[in-house]
Amino acid sequence: MLSLDHVSFSRCHRPILNQVSLAIPAGEFTAILGANGAGKSTLLSLLAGELTPQHGHVRWAGQDLRELANSQLARVRAVLPQNPGLGFNLSVDEVIAMGAYPFAELSPSAVAEVIQAAQQWADVSHLTGRRYPTLSGGEQQRVQFARVLVQALAAQQAGEYRCVLLDEPTSSLDPLHQHGLLAAAQKLAQEAGIAVVAVLHDVNLAARYCSRITMLAKGSIIASGIPCDVLTPDHLQQTYQLAATVIAHPQDPKRPLVLFDC
Amino acid sequence: MCCRLLIPNWLAGLLATGVLLILLVFTASHGAVQIPLSAIPDLLLMNAPLLSDEQQFWRDVLLEIRLPRVLFAALAGGVLALAGATMQALFRNPLAEPGLIGISSGASLGAVSAIVLGGGSFAILAPAAFLGSILATALAYHLGRRYAGMAGLLLAGIAINAICGSLMGLFTYLADDNQLRSLTFWNMGSLAGATWQRLALLGPFLLLISIWIMRYWRAMNALLLGEREALHLGFAIKGLRRKLIVLVALLIGPLVAATGGIGFVGLVVPHCARMLLGADHRRLLPASFLLGAIALVLADYIARIAVVPAELPIGVVTSLIGGPFFLWLLLSRKS
Amino acid sequence: MRIYYSLTTILLLFFITVFSTLALASAPRVVSLGGPLTEIIYALNAEQHLVAVDQSSVYPAAANQLPKVGYYRQFSLEGVLASKADIVLATDQAGPPQALAQLRKMGIKVIVLPGQANLSALSQRIRGVAAALNLPQQGEQMVKQISQDVKALQPATSTSTSTSTSTALMLMSRSGEPEGAGKNTSADAMMQLAGLRNVLAQQQGYKPLSREGMAALRPDVIITTTSTLSSMGGMAALLARPGLAQSPAAKNKRVIVMDDLLLLGFGPRLPEALRQLMSAAK
Repeated sequence: MLSLDHVSFSRCHRPILNQVSLAIPAGEFTAILGANGAGKSTLLSLLAGELTPQHGHVRWAGQDLRELANSQLARVRAVLPQNPGLGFNLSVDEVIAMGAYPFAELSPSAVAEVIQAAQQWADVSHLTGRRYPTLSGGEQQRVQFARVLVQALAAQQAGEYRCVLLDEPTSSLDPLHQHGLLAAAQKLAQEAGIAVVAVLHDVNLAARYCSRITMLAKGSIIASGIPCDVLTPDHLQQTYQLAATVIAHPQDPKRPLVLFDC
Repeated sequence: MCCRLLIPNWLAGLLATGVLLILLVFTASHGAVQIPLSAIPDLLLMNAPLLSDEQQFWRDVLLEIRLPRVLFAALAGGVLALAGATMQALFRNPLAEPGLIGISSGASLGAVSAIVLGGGSFAILAPAAFLGSILATALAYHLGRRYAGMAGLLLAGIAINAICGSLMGLFTYLADDNQLRSLTFWNMGSLAGATWQRLALLGPFLLLISIWIMRYWRAMNALLLGEREALHLGFAIKGLRRKLIVLVALLIGPLVAATGGIGFVGLVVPHCARMLLGADHRRLLPASFLLGAIALVLADYIARIAVVPAELPIGVVTSLIGGPFFLWLLLSRKS
Repeated sequence: MRIYYSLTTILLLFFITVFSTLALASAPRVVSLGGPLTEIIYALNAEQHLVAVDQSSVYPAAANQLPKVGYYRQFSLEGVLASKADIVLATDQAGPPQALAQLRKMGIKVIVLPGQANLSALSQRIRGVAAALNLPQQGEQMVKQISQDVKALQPATSTSTSTSTSTALMLMSRSGEPEGAGKNTSADAMMQLAGLRNVLAQQQGYKPLSREGMAALRPDVIITTTSTLSSMGGMAALLARPGLAQSPAAKNKRVIVMDDLLLLGFGPRLPEALRQLMSAAK
């Protein structure tokens, strides 16, 4: 299991995260919520192994992330970055196939199988054969998501712990595709038993799809747990500096619905 | 993007290899010494004692002079283009080329100092050029490491190039008339020194390094997405960068030492390959190698044929033809 | 064992005689890589042997009619082979070295001669070319004539040098900016032979001259070539040039202009060139 153990991180002597501890359990879809500059993306980068904390440890199954080889980590952890850009002329299929790069041992047919599944999950089957630079921003985002799905699903053994990190995956998507992507991520957690973490801005989307929510404010965790425990007016005030009303969702009473009062 | 060649990889590879082979045979059968095409099979197949004096002469020209030269041209072209494609992947910039991190200017500085200080025989010049390229690259890499990303390497490369350039200026100032002329010709590049010995010395080594570089196609594709993405896909960027730079220096150092400066192939050929086949490095790297080989064999053919019985410097031909061709390609694709 | 040795020796001797008679019988085909060598071949009246020359062979004009195999520093190997040469005459600056080695491997006689600008190198050049063309007597004759002529010119200068040595500046320009000739140039050698003191004797080779640097040199005589004069915009422009205008040479209008190849060629026309230079410098 991937976990943060009293992690502190600062950039140019400016503290960004302070004594953060968090576990990312398998089969759960965890949302990370917080205002701008709360340290959400830094938290994700620490989980991804891109950054090393000044204090504390990021652990993978008890082992410090620094001790794991990059190539080893890539076989169990996939990341969807915030603004995937691409200046070079590749086809959609070539981009999606990159998800299988860490698994050089897979046969071409096995790779093709995973790619097909990922394309369906990410709803990009109709984009095959297109050149990546000709796609719209939202389409590019979904193609990148399909690549991440390939990396998450390829050669997965039964019961193997794997983790997928999504940094603001819905930022350039229309409402329909926002729901589509988050539903696919939820399915990834529930059906493939993968630990999914997403940095999100929309509180109600998080409440709809995520099984756990972690709220960050000024580099510290305010609350962490199941949505109806975490999404309280008090926590929301602390996180966003906004007064909020939380009611039961009219169509799904177990799910909280957040209304910001402004 | 619709203009991309939609043919399978194996067919494209076969096609390019075929074109290269035909070109090798064609260019090897033409030159200042006129050898009738019909005589060539006899020259190759008959036993030496059965040949007339004339035929014996033709055979020597064909086997001892032309064949090593066209093969060396193919090797050099392939290596230059492959190194260019690798640098472009590494810097994530289609304008990158090995010269960017001081490989070429280091080699030039080595050659110039050998010419001015050491008399300039090939025995000194080649090792000096090789040493120069490796040292300049190592220095650029070492200095550039302090910055994150490729920016540091780029800046260090610019500084190294400037320093090498000014030192070369100093040596040029110190040089006498004869040395100056040697210098000028070295910078224009030449394949005239191609012999079987040199081919045997460099060929296997350069081919080995080339194949080694091609094995990094996955990492180079991942770099297209971005350095973070490559990291997420399991490629340790720092190590990868060091490996690729060392490999490129090992390709270009010995080659520049043997041929002098041959410009434009490393920049233009990968571009053309990318326009034809897209940016997937699994195809792009071998395609660049083959296209580079084709381009330099052709350029060398023109250099040998254009002003018979004299010869044009190869570097002049590559730039003279490569430049306008590249412009035409850019303009015709835009519309 | 001994019998084998003597047998091989006899055989070798036999072949050597056969080949040398064959070579004598058929006139050798010669390629010259270097203008000075070409000039010597013409001076020996042996131009009928020349089948190709390099691009620096522009004197005499007839040499321009011959096929050119590229510049001597980077001649075309196949170009030389295509001319079916038996002998290649090259200065020590000719190359690339691998190409010369290849020529030797193909059974062509490659004769490398010194290219420096001094009398002994000139004598070696003439003797080497003459020997290659089977004209040793004519070569010896020419060497003798040249050294006699040069010697005949010398005493006149040596007396004049004791009284007053003129200082000279040799200017050369290809781009309009003049460069001055220092040590180890044929211009310097000519000045020495003519009894002139080179104001740039401290410097090696040709170097660009700043205006102030030129002004500081204060030469009595300026020597230059016809092509330099035209690239600098003619005599009037040269005399008016800041830095030069202040020199004694410009004030007294003592500018010697000579043909490039005559002045700097250091070939069989050396006595003629020296005579011209010295009479103009008087």
